Amino acid sequence: MCGIVGYLGGSSAAAQPVLFDLLKRLEYRGYDSAGIAVMNGSIQVLKTKGSVNNLMSETPILRGCCGIGHTRWATHGKPSSKNAHPHCCDTNKIAVVHNGIIENYIEIRDKLIDLGHKFRSETDTEVLPHLIEENYNNDLESSVRQALSMVRGSYALAAISSNDPDKIVVARKDSPLVLGLGETGFFIASDVSGILKYTKDVIFLNDRELAVISHNGIEITTLDGKKVDKKIETIKWNAESAEKSGYPHFMLKEIFEQPDVIRETFSGRMSAEGVDLEVVMPDARRIIITACGTSYHAGLFGRYVIERFARIPVNVEIASEFRYINPIVNSSDLVIGITQSGETADTLAAVREVNLEKSQKFGIVNVPGSSITRESQCLFTRAGPEIGVAATKSFTSQLAVLLLLAVQLGRARKEMSTADANDFVYDLKQMSGNIQRVLNEADNIKKCALVFADADQFLFMGRGANYPIALEGALKLKEISYIKAEGFPAGELKHGPLALIYDGVPVVAIATEGVTYEKMLGNIKEIKARGATVIGIANESDTKIEKYVDRVLRIPDSNPWISPVLSSVVLQLFAYYVADYKGCEIDKPRNLAKSVTVE
Amino acid sequence: MKAIILAAGEGIRCRPLTFTRSKVMLPIANKPVIEYAVRALYDNGIVDIIIVVGYAKERIMNYFGNGKDFDLNIEYVEQKQQLGTAHAIDQVKDLVDDEFLVLNGDNLVSAKTITDLIKRHEGGISILTVASANTTEYAIVEETNTKVKRVVEGQKLKKVSNINTGIYILNPDIFGAIRETLQSNLGEFGITDSIQNMVDEGYNVHAYKTNHTWMDVAHSWDLLDVNARILEDVSRSVHGTIHGTTKGQVKVGSNSIIREGSYITGPVVIGKNCDIGANVVIAPSTSIGDNVTIEPFTYIRNSVIFDNVYIGSQSTIKNSIIAENNIIGSHFTTDTGKNLLIELGGNLYRADEFGTILGDSNIIGGNVSMMAGTLVGTECRIETGTVIRKQIPNHSLVMQ
Repeated sequence: MCGIVGYLGGSSAAAQPVLFDLLKRLEYRGYDSAGIAVMNGSIQVLKTKGSVNNLMSETPILRGCCGIGHTRWATHGKPSSKNAHPHCCDTNKIAVVHNGIIENYIEIRDKLIDLGHKFRSETDTEVLPHLIEENYNNDLESSVRQALSMVRGSYALAAISSNDPDKIVVARKDSPLVLGLGETGFFIASDVSGILKYTKDVIFLNDRELAVISHNGIEITTLDGKKVDKKIETIKWNAESAEKSGYPHFMLKEIFEQPDVIRETFSGRMSAEGVDLEVVMPDARRIIITACGTSYHAGLFGRYVIERFARIPVNVEIASEFRYINPIVNSSDLVIGITQSGETADTLAAVREVNLEKSQKFGIVNVPGSSITRESQCLFTRAGPEIGVAATKSFTSQLAVLLLLAVQLGRARKEMSTADANDFVYDLKQMSGNIQRVLNEADNIKKCALVFADADQFLFMGRGANYPIALEGALKLKEISYIKAEGFPAGELKHGPLALIYDGVPVVAIATEGVTYEKMLGNIKEIKARGATVIGIANESDTKIEKYVDRVLRIPDSNPWISPVLSSVVLQLFAYYVADYKGCEIDKPRNLAKSVTVE
Repeated sequence: MKAIILAAGEGIRCRPLTFTRSKVMLPIANKPVIEYAVRALYDNGIVDIIIVVGYAKERIMNYFGNGKDFDLNIEYVEQKQQLGTAHAIDQVKDLVDDEFLVLNGDNLVSAKTITDLIKRHEGGISILTVASANTTEYAIVEETNTKVKRVVEGQKLKKVSNINTGIYILNPDIFGAIRETLQSNLGEFGITDSIQNMVDEGYNVHAYKTNHTWMDVAHSWDLLDVNARILEDVSRSVHGTIHGTTKGQVKVGSNSIIREGSYITGPVVIGKNCDIGANVVIAPSTSIGDNVTIEPFTYIRNSVIFDNVYIGSQSTIKNSIIAENNIIGSHFTTDTGKNLLIELGGNLYRADEFGTILGDSNIIGGNVSMMAGTLVGTECRIETGTVIRKQIPNHSLVMQ
């Protein structure tokens, strides 16, 4: 989690404002404490508990053209100014910022304490500056290299030393790091969206690579000291996409971007004849989808559509569990990792795990150039930068990619006729417009949300491909409004959750047209009989539903395999308006961060 | 100098197109009207723009973002209730501290139009005017040697043919005058009332006339004429896959396919991800948005098709406007007529010539014919084989 930044420029007034700005842009990665270190002869450190704004209100102006910074999401040691990065060695000659986890830090710390080092924080990171100091041999680069050879775990780090001024040494292993080459200097960030305002020319550092940034340029080697030639890549995204442009929250902006996003996702990938994706592996005997959180829900949806259209058995696994169930994977299996950021540690690890089994694999990912894209072939969801911690447009674009994938696999395996594929593509083309029609009804959804905003618990239920949407609807609501919310397959209710129903408890029932519709009506009757207040999500042409539920939220009539996408947009807006009414910090829900780069 | 673009109103007279978007977002040659204003400002070196938004604001904010794609800084201010231009301009009083330019987002202007005002402005307040035969629907500006004597709405004055374009250079003094206007009037009030107050108090107010582009889409059907005029300046640029024939000023976006036997005569613009043909004929002065599918043997002339539209085979569409997300079955025919009388909100308006105007998201069966001058709302279902005339309200179901 956490974000690290760095800057080396020409002007001595430049470093502090640039570091603050870079940190603001990375704040979604963590925001419980922040700090910077700027070099001007000696190293000056400024750090505080809380957001980057708190840091910026600490007045001292640090002069210097070279510095590093950090915004933290606590893993080792509670959020406090003491535990905030950067961390320094005893003599304050070395400062380090770090994202990741040093697994053997206790062992190293005990040794260093025996050698007389004094530790000031509870963090794993603090061993790094001390270890570098202990191994210091006149140049920062070789000292960092020496120190890292003793460290186990994951890291993206940046170090500066007053003994070796105007130089930043960075290295990465299993945590993301990007270098930017701009007109006004060199930039370092955990995420490419951080530096886009300054430059579009970037270098993605790979695992076990170390870079030295000085006024002479950037020199990259492996941790073992072999020289590496890296390509400078030009990013096509615009920094614009990373700002709110008139919306009160990024989440609302991202919800309203979905019609455009879906068109972008489909662009050039469909024709009158069918679907044309960049990566397909149609000969798999079994597909294993592994993902976390919202992406896991997309994976569950993927299972329904792939099994339906391509008749390939699909398992969907939570990535953090997948590694520990001794997965039985062989070379005729296809493993698909789904991750918005491409940096999700658990998903990356799960996909790496199956590497050993030589099975086929690919990723479904949003962020170009992210770690997963350098390890596997990938299908891009093309949702553009997503800043709100609660995933919205990245989710619907994942669903869109999975629908395309299902159709293409179905065609390749002759499970789906050309005519059926043709019809389905026709329906897919209406998806963007239908999402727009859902958004046109945002005011109705808001009215409904406000009626229920004071409830202290919610249940969501659906059947078939609507079941993952019920899970996702509950996740959205709980993560941004902090209301207890759970999703269930509607048929499971009477096996337990029905006990949660009491008079007036709101239940969201996704009852859109399809094979499960009649069964859903039956389930709705069950919970109504026990006093629940039911909010039904139904098609606009459904005339029966009003007799069964207390309130109806409508979606346009659509193919039953596509209507789950429309229902999920309704539930995003529902969650948003509830959280907004409650005054929650929607874009940065407590305890959560956007890219989960720790396992 | 900062510029304020007024874009909060719906544009009721452009219904049904404005049920789901504001008038400033109506597409002309596949770009919203307001983009022409934004680009005209940019070409005059104005890069700090405040857009006053209200009705259907999300579409505007999604389109421009914070302006970086246009090399501009764009800020948004929300006018929660549409209480006229004075109230709209009053919303920005905390964001300007110097002279600023004001224009309407729903008027089509060129860079030279704006230059005409900026170049001649000499302090105080300046108003840009145009000569027009239609003086009843706009404010008229009476002046001697550019010094303004009167700005009045809804009146005829002898020998005065200069109407107000709604483009001004103002300064913070206006906010005092606005405050007085707001207090002395009820309901909607225009900025012209505030300016008239300042004239009465002897303030330095000048008017300058432009001969460059200034067009207003007063009614939905005016979009056809304005679109045709702007298409004249489109230059040829063809992306996508072209198997058919394209002649003259034709613009085709990326990932679009024009299939065999299709014949397109410019000026025509076609957006991205469209699938056209085989054997579709598209005649001049037609704009087609993104993601549009047109099935074989369809003929389209002098029309504006928005995004995400599906048009079935063997259809004929002339002088018509089809908004977003319409699904139209095969053998759809639009009749076209001249000198039509259209009733809107109890008033009768004359339209030179048009066929049909469809709002968003209608589903239309096969063999549907539309008589000249038909206006269809949004989200209607029109069943196969029907003949439609006059006006169909939103969410209607039309059966045979």
